[in-house]
Amino acid sequence: MDLTFIVVLVIALALFFDFTNGFHDTANAMATPIATGAIKPRTAVALAAILNLVGAFLSTEVAKTISGGIIREGEGGVSITPELIFAGLLGAVLWNLFTWLLGLPSSSSHALFGGLIGAAVVGTWGFDAVDFAVVLSKVILPAILAPAIAGGVAYLCTKLAYGITRRTDPDSGDKLVQKRGGFRYGQIFSSSLVALAHGTNDAQKTMGVITLVLIASGLQTAGTGPHLWVVAACAVAIAAGTYAGGWRIIRTLGSGLTDVKPAQGFAAETSTAAAILASSHLGFALSTTHVASGSVIGSGLGRTGSTVRWGAIGKIGLAWLFTLPAAAIVGGLAAWLASPTHGFGTTGLVVSAVIGLAAMVFIFILSQRETVDHSNAVSEVDAVGEAVHIPSKKERERLAARARLAEKAAAKAAAKAAEMADIRAQALAAVERADTAALIAMTAAAERAKTDAREERAAAKEAKTAAHQAAHEAGGKGAGKASGKAAVNTPANATKSAIGDATEDVGTGNVGVGNVTDNSEDKA
Amino acid sequence: MINWASFGIVALATLIGAVTVVGMYSLGVRLWAVSADAGTSAHRTARSGAIACFAVCGAAVLYGIYLIVPFFH
Repeated sequence: MDLTFIVVLVIALALFFDFTNGFHDTANAMATPIATGAIKPRTAVALAAILNLVGAFLSTEVAKTISGGIIREGEGGVSITPELIFAGLLGAVLWNLFTWLLGLPSSSSHALFGGLIGAAVVGTWGFDAVDFAVVLSKVILPAILAPAIAGGVAYLCTKLAYGITRRTDPDSGDKLVQKRGGFRYGQIFSSSLVALAHGTNDAQKTMGVITLVLIASGLQTAGTGPHLWVVAACAVAIAAGTYAGGWRIIRTLGSGLTDVKPAQGFAAETSTAAAILASSHLGFALSTTHVASGSVIGSGLGRTGSTVRWGAIGKIGLAWLFTLPAAAIVGGLAAWLASPTHGFGTTGLVVSAVIGLAAMVFIFILSQRETVDHSNAVSEVDAVGEAVHIPSKKERERLAARARLAEKAAAKAAAKAAEMADIRAQALAAVERADTAALIAMTAAAERAKTDAREERAAAKEAKTAAHQAAHEAGGKGAGKASGKAAVNTPANATKSAIGDATEDVGTGNVGVGNVTDNSEDKA
Repeated sequence: MINWASFGIVALATLIGAVTVVGMYSLGVRLWAVSADAGTSAHRTARSGAIACFAVCGAAVLYGIYLIVPFFH
């Protein structure tokens, strides 16, 4: 009677732990595709839920090795009682809910191990029950190495993805439209793979715990695998939890660590899936949460120009550090209350169950003060909406390309303008030179003309002189009236006319000569 | 202490798996983009190359799942 009650209680709590595990880890698979707008939030969690369900049925390898020698059983160790497992689960569940409230991705496996360790230590009143060498090699070192492997691989993959798809114009070296939209579709598959891997890995832990309880209470023979109903219940619990969705954690992983682009998301998820599948197949326990966080950070480092928020990463790191001890403390406390020798036995068990339930309700009420759900988990992306978000990015690329083209045209125009200015300057210089030459030529011509005029005048003077002489000669006969006109004309004519005129009017003839002489002098 | 051999195997398997899938998918995306460019003579070749890349990608993933499911072994 007593045994059945505690067994039912543990199974219920284990399934609730599976539920929290599911919604804690939805983010691992679906945070990046939601952040990049590859899948709508609701569709994403539904897809993840189905794949977790399928994954839980695929493999039960991990379930067989859940306690994995961390807790020494039998001789010199501790006999695992349902009470102990209950205490451990309580610690794990409370820590999971607490980190969910803070929106921190923390490892559910660590919480479970922590709770069980705490319960074992308190349950036996000593540290002999726990093999700390195994804790170090199976829990603590993988917690450091898992993000390192996944992050390193994600870094390389991101570099690779961007390197392969970088398209530049062979002539100008100008960036072409990159057309990396294909990664958005790829993300749907890669994130599905992560969800599947999560199902094959994390659902097993709860199956293992329930099987452990069944064996411990003598309802199942040791060494057999989990019953089908256990597998089914766990699969449904983790799927339901996944569908409920830990939107707070999705927000942290989707946009809190780094701004994720589709190619990055694809690289990160592929690395995550590869790491989880490899580790669960090759028997090296890795936490899916650690792997996923490491991948997101690695892909953030791999893309040039993306920012990695080290503050947020530090906070997550702290949560990781505290996961094991915190869950251990809660587990130990519950184990102490429920311990028949040091605590209060069954009464203590009920009390711890009630306190645990109250704490869960309290955390839930706290979480309601600021709800984070599918509508505001990745608010920036959601607000813009994927319909607007995707074209806007393409448009940005197009605009940038257009701007580059315009810049080129402007540069060409500027060069041409400079050339034209040069030519014009040369032409102006040439014109100036021509002007100067013309002026010089004109001056020279004028000079020449002056000289000519002087020569003419000189000739005129000569003519006048000749005329005068002729007039004098004519005057000698009493007719010294050589007119100006006659004088300018040929001396012969002048002489003739002078002779003619002289006979008519001698007085005017004198005046006339005087006039001509005056004029000639003025001109000279 | 920690089993460095299995750690190394996990690291290597992760690297090979992820690099194969991401590399092939990227190549597919690139070839698809090339085939979508207007006025390229190698249009048809690029398109089939892209599809081949995606197929290799899918096959690699399916093989990975096949490996981890005990039902098939």
